[in-house]
Amino acid sequence: MSEKKEYKVIGTRPIRHDGVDKVTGRAIYGADFQITGLLHGRVLRSPHAHARIVSIDTSRAEAHPGVKGVVTAEDLPAAEDKMADLGEGAVSLKYLCDNILASDKALYKGHAIAAVAATSPHIAEEACELIDVEYEVLPPVLEVRQAMESDAPILHENLRTSSLGETGDKPSNIASHFQHKKGDIDKGFDEADVIIEREFVTGTVHQGYIEPHNATALYNPDGQLTVWCSTQGAFTVREQLAEILQYPISKIKVVPLEIGGGFGGKINVYVKPVAALLAKKTGKPVKVLMNRADVFEGTGPTPASYITIKMGATNDGKITAAQTSLVFEAGAYPGSPVGAGAMCVFAPYNIENVVIDGYDVVVNKPKTAPYRAPGATNAAFGTETVVDELAEKLNIDPLEIRLMNGAKEGDRRADGPVYPRIGFIETLEAAKEHPHYASPNGKKYHGRGIASGFWFNIGLESSVTINVNPDGTVNLVEGSTDIGGTRASIAMQAAEVLGIPAESVNPTVVDTNSIGYTAVTGGSRTTYATGYAAYEAAQDVVQQMKARAAKLWDVDEDNVQFADGEFSSINGKEEQISFRDLSARLGETGGPVIGRATMNPAGAGGAFATHVVDVEVDVDTGKVEILRYTATQDAGKAIHPSYVEGQIQGGVVQGIGWALNEEYIYNDEGEMTNASFLDYRMPTCLDLPMIDAVIVEVPNPGHPYGVRGVGEVPIVPPPAAIANAIYDAVGIRMTELPMSPDRLLKAMGKI
Amino acid sequence: MARKSHVQTTINGETVEFLCEPRQSLLEVLRDELHLTGAKEGCNNGNCGACSVILDGRLVNSCLVLGAEIDGKSVETIEGLAEPDKLHPIQDAFLENAALQCGICTPGFIMSAKALLDKNPNPTEHEVRYWLAGNLCRCTGYDKIVRAVLDAAAAT
Amino acid sequence: MEKFSYVNATSLKQVTSLLSDSGWGEIMMIAGGTDLLAELKEYIETPKTLINLKTLPGMDSISADASGLKIGALTTVAEIAMHPTIQHHYTVLAQAAASVATPQIRNVGTLGGNLCQRPRCWYYRDETVSCLKKGGDLCYAVEGLSKYHAIFGGDPVYIVHPSDIAPALIALNASIKIVGPEGEKTIKVEEFFTLPAANPFRENVLEPNEIVVEVHVPKPNPNTKSLYLKAREKGAPDFALASVAGVFEVMGRTCQAASIVLGGVAPAPWRSTDAETALTGKMINDSVSAKAGEEAVKNAQPLNDNEYKVTLTQNLISRAAMMAVSK
Repeated sequence: MSEKKEYKVIGTRPIRHDGVDKVTGRAIYGADFQITGLLHGRVLRSPHAHARIVSIDTSRAEAHPGVKGVVTAEDLPAAEDKMADLGEGAVSLKYLCDNILASDKALYKGHAIAAVAATSPHIAEEACELIDVEYEVLPPVLEVRQAMESDAPILHENLRTSSLGETGDKPSNIASHFQHKKGDIDKGFDEADVIIEREFVTGTVHQGYIEPHNATALYNPDGQLTVWCSTQGAFTVREQLAEILQYPISKIKVVPLEIGGGFGGKINVYVKPVAALLAKKTGKPVKVLMNRADVFEGTGPTPASYITIKMGATNDGKITAAQTSLVFEAGAYPGSPVGAGAMCVFAPYNIENVVIDGYDVVVNKPKTAPYRAPGATNAAFGTETVVDELAEKLNIDPLEIRLMNGAKEGDRRADGPVYPRIGFIETLEAAKEHPHYASPNGKKYHGRGIASGFWFNIGLESSVTINVNPDGTVNLVEGSTDIGGTRASIAMQAAEVLGIPAESVNPTVVDTNSIGYTAVTGGSRTTYATGYAAYEAAQDVVQQMKARAAKLWDVDEDNVQFADGEFSSINGKEEQISFRDLSARLGETGGPVIGRATMNPAGAGGAFATHVVDVEVDVDTGKVEILRYTATQDAGKAIHPSYVEGQIQGGVVQGIGWALNEEYIYNDEGEMTNASFLDYRMPTCLDLPMIDAVIVEVPNPGHPYGVRGVGEVPIVPPPAAIANAIYDAVGIRMTELPMSPDRLLKAMGKI
Repeated sequence: MARKSHVQTTINGETVEFLCEPRQSLLEVLRDELHLTGAKEGCNNGNCGACSVILDGRLVNSCLVLGAEIDGKSVETIEGLAEPDKLHPIQDAFLENAALQCGICTPGFIMSAKALLDKNPNPTEHEVRYWLAGNLCRCTGYDKIVRAVLDAAAAT
Repeated sequence: MEKFSYVNATSLKQVTSLLSDSGWGEIMMIAGGTDLLAELKEYIETPKTLINLKTLPGMDSISADASGLKIGALTTVAEIAMHPTIQHHYTVLAQAAASVATPQIRNVGTLGGNLCQRPRCWYYRDETVSCLKKGGDLCYAVEGLSKYHAIFGGDPVYIVHPSDIAPALIALNASIKIVGPEGEKTIKVEEFFTLPAANPFRENVLEPNEIVVEVHVPKPNPNTKSLYLKAREKGAPDFALASVAGVFEVMGRTCQAASIVLGGVAPAPWRSTDAETALTGKMINDSVSAKAGEEAVKNAQPLNDNEYKVTLTQNLISRAAMMAVSK
């Protein structure tokens, strides 16, 4: 795998297989789904950030003409205090159910309280206004440091802090505290000639997918529950539904429709169990949609955080010590991505002496959900700013200091793993050689910033079957919902094995009844793990067809080889047959050929990126303009380079929004005041230049084609890169996100 | 009880008649009454452009137009763009340039691009960005979308 | 949205007569609908009947002659932005119109609607909040979140007027024709808008049964340079954090007359006579323009979160003055 291979299909740019449906409006997304007899559901949400639910009276709503059913937490099976196993770690079942429909407390504004099914969406909305809820309003706590104080309002009376193996004895908002240690931190700082210590604050930020959540549910009279929805993982939805509804998995079928963006935010279920409850109650199929305000207020954003970083280096640039405290808001229930943040915070660097403390703290905001490299962007904002400051103090070029300290194969990360072959250094070198880095940067109020980032990527389970058609094409069946072009990248890997064009593979994403278990489309795993399964399934096809050729030629199977799309006999007889021609003869040689594979590959490899950005700061208005952006990233092997570039560009732009404009603005009552795309400001195309995505390929030994996941790491460097560029432009270190015009004006002393 | 409005209109060149409540937006009518689900709801208040259609030759957010308002008017949606055996050049350009990832914003962008190129067949990059500023995309970072529109302009 | 009936307008008389039968909010007019429908969806307004103005004839055109412009109230913002005469001779108006929202909204939003649009204040737009403007007791911005609120003229309601076109029209000394059941009247656009001290509940002087039909803009003098500067957080769509509509009569580098109206900083478009005085008759340079900016904000009264608007306004005015005399 270390030598550059010439591939026929890998690395080309075919039209994606689902493309025509998507550009003609024919593709069916969750909200587009239609079925006879459909009712429309709507969720009533708490107007209070923190309140005891005293009573819920649904009688007026039930009496409203057109209303067919109303549900509350009472309709959920008793959620005992047990742990649910959702395949990615244990979760409290009570917390899970409570987030679907609140039972005793509303813990954030937007918390689902009840839901109505009616004959039209308008009637359902009217009916929600007729549900009478009595609340005892409680004071909310909205920020981690306040939540950690001893007199803070408590969200969960039975939550005790789990800290370094011990459990606390008083109610607390601190769900957990863990620590990673490597080496001797005091010795490390003693060795340092320069030490920088800084505090950083980042705001609550939403994934911002354009398609709101949706689900249509139907119970058949035989008890079979079917749910049609947009989701990042049909199988995890099935598991979550089974736990929340206490219903057998065998009776639940989840049909994933096309999905309009997820970024981690469409893994947890919200309206899917509600749709099921309403379908049960009414005996009809029920479609439940969220509107945009619901999405902001009722689904998990990524945590706001308070981060301290202390790093020390010697005069010749070697980083000798790094220490951090990562305090992340979990939202209303424990489970922020502080653990992942801790894995990534110093990951690009080989540092001998490290201490990382992570805190998971609940506050009266929606429960956080993963957002593209969850936790890593917060952490990198801190680290990459401090590394920049170290470089400046030591008079070393910011790329050079990263090259000096960059992690390589064999280095051990502070949280334990030893790196296999990785490509961080290569991304730095690519950035260094790029014309952007050499271009002039001297104009007034213009500045250039660098930052790097890491995401570990995951493997997990994927299953694929391949059915050979008589005309040399194959049908590839998989369970990974296609959010960004993975039908193509998976099909291309099978095509490469079989020696056929990408267009000869027909990939289909199927429901949970039709394919083996497949984990979420997330964690940058799909092209890697499902692609690996497709590779193996294709190898299975080849093996079986070798046996068919052997039968045709009356030779031993061992005498048949396959290369470049051709089967040939290697001993004695000179026989040759193409994949295509052999596919026409399967009937006579034993029947259809079906290849299959299921993978849970362990070598995801890890992805690194280095970004270079030029900005101009308008010192009169505080507005930051992105002039030029270059993102170098190690993709291992880019199966379909256009979609790899797309992941890089999309992640960069999300990072730019996070850096400059996006945040949840809360008032003192805990109400989000900007729950719309007007005041939650995501970048438009008018705010941006072209994004130069540079793919570096250091093949991943853990994949037959060297693939590394690419989806997440692009969002990690931008806030720090832009902060460093702002410093270069106007000499101000911004330590709070977002760096919006009013904050910049204040920091520049203009206010 | 408010009577339904009886609307007669032309959609993608075909005469269409429907009943709708006055409070149903054009977006709701397209999706729920006429089953033309290409226009999408992203925000329902004119901030994302996923519902963009062309009404009497002008690009509009169908979430901010009432169904009743299109009586006697003509609407073009994404479903009317391709021919039975051929895509519109803008659709081809989007596919060639990989200008879509999840695809939810794509119908809206293609309609906005069509509205632009119908009036200005040779826009600059800045003009493309200015005239597409009413469409949000969260997946692509816009780079390939802008390239696709410039390519489509060059091709026609 | 709540249920409503939908009626097409046939004549101005019919409209004013229908409106005369009710108070505010029961029967409402819809033109482009880009603001009104958003309000209906949030239950800020819950009319029983909507009158569709778009069927009124003769109100959607722009005519220009030697004396000035006549713009019908149903003309779209896009048409104003793209009109060659407006772009060349009433530049501030074209630039203001071009900066509004998005192409989709400009294609549908009308001049009348843009002038009559309601504020974007997040307390006002929250149906669960009974703020002063909606008849309640309190303007929540005062002690609450005031990032997007007024730094001039707020007492007792601290919204900012969201229109870009209004400051441009006032800077151009435009007039507005209003039709009611008794007939028509023409007033200065500057007098069309009101401050909360005079009426906390509405932003302009329209009675419930009156309708805006036309705007007249006198032709500026030949040596006039006009421009619209809008500070915002992102490219589009975005309302102004602060904006400056400037109409300058310039000879060489000397400003003979200045008409400066601010947007995004007060409950009505805010004429800055202090800036005008600081520039009139002066040769514009860095220090004169800086002084004009300082003068403009010397009486600003920011709230807790919006002090940056003072800096923004000051800087935008200086910048506008410098741009007026540059080539």
